[in-house]
Amino acid sequence: MASVTKWGKRGIALGAGAAATALVLTGCASSSVSDTALNGMSIGTTDKVTSLDPAGSYDNGSFAVQNQVFPFLMNTPVGSPDVEPDIAESAEFTNDTTYEVTLKEGLQFANGNDLTSSDVKFSFDRELKINNENGPQSLLANLKSIDTPDETTVVFNLDHADQTWPQVLSSPAGPIVDEEVFSADELTPAADIVKGKAFAGQYEITSYKENDTIQYKANPKYDGLLGKAKTDEVTASYYTKETDLKLAVQQGDVDVAYRSLTPTDISDLRKDDSVKVYDGPGGEIRYLVFNFNTQPFGASQSDKDEAKALAVRQAVADVVDRAKIAEDVYNNTYSPLYSMVPDGLTGAAKPFQELYGDGDGGPDVDKAKQTLSEAGVTGKVQLDIQYAPDHYGSTSDDEYAELKTQLENSGLFTVNIQSTVYTTYAVERTKDAYPVYQLGWFPDFSDADNYLSPFFTKDNFVQNHYDDPEIQDLISEEQQESDADARAALIEQAQEREATQISTLPLLQGKSVAVASKDVKGLTLDSSYKFRYATLSK
Amino acid sequence: MTLTTPEAVESEPTKPQQARRSAKSSGGLGRYILVRFLLIFPTVFILVTLVFFLMRVIGNPITASVGGRLTPDQLQERLHAAGYDRPVFVQYLEYLGGIVRGDFGMTSTDNRPITEVIVTYGGATAELVFYALIVALVLGIPLGMLAAYVRDKWPDVLFRALAILTYATPVFFGGLLLKLVFSVWLGVLPLGDRASTRVSLVLDNIPGATGIYLIDALRTGNGQIIGDVLQHAVLPALTLGLLTAGIFLRLVRANMIGSLGSEYVDAARSRGVREARLVRTHAFRPALVPIITVMGLQIAMLLGGSVLTETTFGWRGLGFELNQYLSARDFVAVQGIVAMLAVIVAVTNFIVDVVAALIDPRVRF
Repeated sequence: MASVTKWGKRGIALGAGAAATALVLTGCASSSVSDTALNGMSIGTTDKVTSLDPAGSYDNGSFAVQNQVFPFLMNTPVGSPDVEPDIAESAEFTNDTTYEVTLKEGLQFANGNDLTSSDVKFSFDRELKINNENGPQSLLANLKSIDTPDETTVVFNLDHADQTWPQVLSSPAGPIVDEEVFSADELTPAADIVKGKAFAGQYEITSYKENDTIQYKANPKYDGLLGKAKTDEVTASYYTKETDLKLAVQQGDVDVAYRSLTPTDISDLRKDDSVKVYDGPGGEIRYLVFNFNTQPFGASQSDKDEAKALAVRQAVADVVDRAKIAEDVYNNTYSPLYSMVPDGLTGAAKPFQELYGDGDGGPDVDKAKQTLSEAGVTGKVQLDIQYAPDHYGSTSDDEYAELKTQLENSGLFTVNIQSTVYTTYAVERTKDAYPVYQLGWFPDFSDADNYLSPFFTKDNFVQNHYDDPEIQDLISEEQQESDADARAALIEQAQEREATQISTLPLLQGKSVAVASKDVKGLTLDSSYKFRYATLSK
Repeated sequence: MTLTTPEAVESEPTKPQQARRSAKSSGGLGRYILVRFLLIFPTVFILVTLVFFLMRVIGNPITASVGGRLTPDQLQERLHAAGYDRPVFVQYLEYLGGIVRGDFGMTSTDNRPITEVIVTYGGATAELVFYALIVALVLGIPLGMLAAYVRDKWPDVLFRALAILTYATPVFFGGLLLKLVFSVWLGVLPLGDRASTRVSLVLDNIPGATGIYLIDALRTGNGQIIGDVLQHAVLPALTLGLLTAGIFLRLVRANMIGSLGSEYVDAARSRGVREARLVRTHAFRPALVPIITVMGLQIAMLLGGSVLTETTFGWRGLGFELNQYLSARDFVAVQGIVAMLAVIVAVTNFIVDVVAALIDPRVRF
């Protein structure tokens, strides 16, 4: 009994002491630690990093990090979507299938190792060899071999002519890595990369905690197109919730918030005087796909009729009010898209704006009615539309509800919308399960071809039984055309051709949005779709 | 005068009977411990099997990650290379074989050994569960004692209502509510994370970092760092701890009421023992036994609740990572983490069962 009493007293005393200590310490805590003050710029994001090793990732979050720390042979200068030599002195096609790059002299990684043609060959060879399930090696499908006749010369031998190859070198497949640090046949852990200081971009990483915090320091050894970083130190913090990121930038915990804030949060932040909201072109597009076999009057339907099927697609294009979706659903964080090639890219046109609706981007129900009537379509057309809310964001629910309303209010359609989880959706859509469905696209590089080839060539990503030799020829020609103006003209023709057939109906183009405190300068959102830390300063 | 009855004489054990009873008792304890230990294996096996098959229903990590960038043929190629198109049962047997060899595999999405994930983030979860347990014990036990003592008066009613409220409130909702009040409206506590960015950078980089921020902060001896860590722990600890505090409160109350109404307490009261001492020493100790027994279950509940708590507060522990891997359909990672958590819970329950058996011999039989 005496021991129980003693235990009870000790227990109570211990608990009280711990609570008091915690309260005192909590009261004394401040948000800054004087001997560890953060210098430079702080950036918040909700992106996720899959891998620091370029061979192991093909996502925006990982590429955003790799862009800051690895060098590229070709890159987009600030404000332009077109690539120029970055750590290369020169780069050109010596014939249709041979692309020769000459490196600058004296290039080094942050660890002091020389950056030579051997590292370049190593970087691409390992991507193909490792062939990681999450890797970007599909972008190198056209690469046959690489020769390195001397320390500064790299010769890419392609399988077929492709003018977008320089763009591929600026894509997630393009980072150049240190062959003395990276493994040739398996992914290299981030800890080894950081410890080995295998960086030759504008920044090097000094501290790395994946999807938590990354500290960058300006790399004095970077010698490329983009110039030296304006801020010596940058800290990137990874948030799990958009609302937390929004609060962080409002409360000054971060200087810049980039990807991704919800439309509601952005709308709210525009009214906040303590921060500034920046808008820029985004590469993401959202579109509807028509399965040519299973859509109304499609090739595998009992009432198949090519003319009627086209009329249905045209009528949908006439009725859709993109501006209303962009404003009501997305608070203008998306803008109307009138071509599969988004605004800002060389060769981008707006054929859907001219050909459909009121000719100015708005809907025209009478025109849709006439189109259907002339094709012999009587009565309401049944449309079954599928979408994937988990992959394209929960706002897809509202987007497709609005689309349904627009189509049904025209009196021409009866719409049934359904959602499916993405991992099932991605498989089922290629099995003709969905007559009309949602898709989105993030570009691999900022070139119009990356919005045409994946959708309209023979073995394309969409797989909706659209097979048009004319558009395939146009795409093949533009890939091989070296004259910029002639290429732009071919790209426009391809867009116009597709617009007359409507394999896909472009709906929205995502905007790049960043929010920063008022003292931040140099924040640029351009058609390169790359967010560069090196231009930022305070 | 000693009262001796035939029954009393017969009931008094002889030395051989005493020896037999003693042997039976230790044999019973040994058998009990053995059975409890052996039960760990089927428990873990069933859970791992369930998770394995359930995860395959929701899709694969490759489609989730790069399905939006590859043509169907390219996607199929990668699925084939990863073996995800093989019969599920073949994949299952391969996975079981790996577990037996101690190989929990590599995560599909970020190519990390599962054991590395467990080691990296396990400390954070252990730290949160520790804080939550402190909250639960500090709030639940004293309030339970008080509620029992003032039984059926308005404080007792209030405590019982609060206990039900904390127990019934979903963890994520409670966390969001606390965040809204204390972080957004009042601005007195941080929104989330285990520490501020500056402090995290210090703690992650000190030599021999344990990953348990409180320990690492105490090692620095820096009051600001310690305070920062504790400040970030308040809301997550309350969110998770209140869940269990309500259970402890009701349990202590119920058992204390039983103890306070027992004959030996009446006898002590009639001998003139003061009420406070009566409650603290005579009634409280017996009420503790069920708490210890229940604590094993509560560890499991805390680990389960930690998934939502860590996600709500961005507390990067195993629960948080489990949620991230689940979203990415990384079934290898989910299987590995769940298997490891199952082992921890099973072993913890085993230890608690043994302790309970040692404290209370009735538990064995």
